[in-house]
Amino acid sequence: MKDYFQLQHKMLQRKWVDFGVPLWIAYSASPILFVLLSYLLFEKLNYAAYIYAVVALGVVSKMSEPNRNQFLQSIFSKREYTQLRIIENIIVALPFTLFLMFKSEYWLAIGLSFASILTALLKLKTSTNFTIPTPFGKKPYEFTVGFRNTYFLFPIVYGLTFISIQVNNYNLGIFAMAVLALVCIFYYAKPEDKYFVWNFNRSPESFLIEKVITGMVNFTILTLPIIATLSIYFTDEITITLLLFLLCFAYLIAFILAKYAAYPNEINITQGMFLGISLVVQPILIGLIPYFYLQSVKKLNPILHDPN
Amino acid sequence: MIRIEKLSKSYGKHNVLNSIDISFEKGKVYGVVGENGAGKTTLFKCIAGLESYSGQIHSDFEQLKDVIGFLQTEPFFFSKITGEEYIRLLTNARHVSLTNLKDKNIFDLPLNRYASTYSTGMKKKLALTAVLLQENQVFILDEPFNGVDIQSNLVITEIIKKLKSLGKTVIISSHIFSTLTETCDEIFLLKAGEIVKRVTENEYSNLEAEMKAVTIGNRIDQLELV
Repeated sequence: MKDYFQLQHKMLQRKWVDFGVPLWIAYSASPILFVLLSYLLFEKLNYAAYIYAVVALGVVSKMSEPNRNQFLQSIFSKREYTQLRIIENIIVALPFTLFLMFKSEYWLAIGLSFASILTALLKLKTSTNFTIPTPFGKKPYEFTVGFRNTYFLFPIVYGLTFISIQVNNYNLGIFAMAVLALVCIFYYAKPEDKYFVWNFNRSPESFLIEKVITGMVNFTILTLPIIATLSIYFTDEITITLLLFLLCFAYLIAFILAKYAAYPNEINITQGMFLGISLVVQPILIGLIPYFYLQSVKKLNPILHDPN
Repeated sequence: MIRIEKLSKSYGKHNVLNSIDISFEKGKVYGVVGENGAGKTTLFKCIAGLESYSGQIHSDFEQLKDVIGFLQTEPFFFSKITGEEYIRLLTNARHVSLTNLKDKNIFDLPLNRYASTYSTGMKKKLALTAVLLQENQVFILDEPFNGVDIQSNLVITEIIKKLKSLGKTVIISSHIFSTLTETCDEIFLLKAGEIVKRVTENEYSNLEAEMKAVTIGNRIDQLELV
């Protein structure tokens, strides 16, 4: 079991190195970044502790991927497997648990620890017969795959919008829209196999425009219930709602283009930094979007054009 | 027609393809055989434009890659995409509108199920169906018979013959020699990145015997099975 955790540690280090982060920066910056983001969340939101616990459980649940665990079950004894899963879930949940305790949210911290252990004991199976329906089947793949991976978040997001009307809290509704935008942006986080880009008989420019338009249309479909609800119940704020919706569009476009600007690799540290800065200084998106666009065209040219 | 001149490919110091000169004509089926690691897949990827190379590839098409249907040895599938969506992804990419998919599902695949849950053979058949529905002019089929049941093997053989009759160019690799002799007009023997032999239909039996002799030799005796 010790070997397993050593291997996990090595794999994590390799991921950092591949991402272009020197290990000493990763080890020193990641705890600081974690604490800063946690602080920010608790500063900005009323129900931060609950949202924080849900986020923590979301991260922990990533370890319950059925194929991964089936593989672990095949190489470890039943006892070792259970111990290993409990330990790794506790390790993943630990930073969140400690921060909750620091914030005097003891019951939530205990609840999170129990839930992490429980998640380790649950056996999730991949259903081969049930296919989650999506409205995006005609234009695969980003939203089709993404929607199916995050379907459980949509009732929460739409529920938050409903609550925002109940408690007359416009900010909560906007928060729901922002969460939805963030979720959709993550659909573009991983670069696809080169084969799927190569198949397109378009110029890089047309390819990118099509990707962006599809992203915008699909995002609109998912956001429409929130926009409509907020526009009806918070009529005075309609301009702000629409402006924020456009800002979400801008981020979506920036992330799609950033993905192809780094293609076939994952978004690198510099691009990630620019995107991070844009979250605080939004006007830089005006320069960032054309910059990523030009880089994307350059990266896609050798894949979408014959070398001869 | 596709004409390849002095095509070479190396990964660092390792030469995978060494000055390949071959041409492929319209309405003909070509086989490429060779041991594992001989360079077949790399050659296919170079022709498709999925790998960079030195040398020249000329063709009658404005953009060769846009008319190539490439069936990979191990097709990649996203984790939560159905068979139908996979086909749509590939046909949309080529601006081909998809109609009557149910009728075109000749391998009777469960198209509403996630493709990642398919068996190896079903995945191959799905990828082949998608490539066929792209309405390509050139088909590169890397191990199309691999992992596929015997009935589907017969269907794939007939598909290749049909493609030939439609004037398409088909390039295939296979470790099952009989499937190649049944479908190919010419077979190229690739060894350590070089085309060492070019064989036409009437010489197939010699090639098979020669390959057996070279490949097997006295290796089985070396095992000293008792």
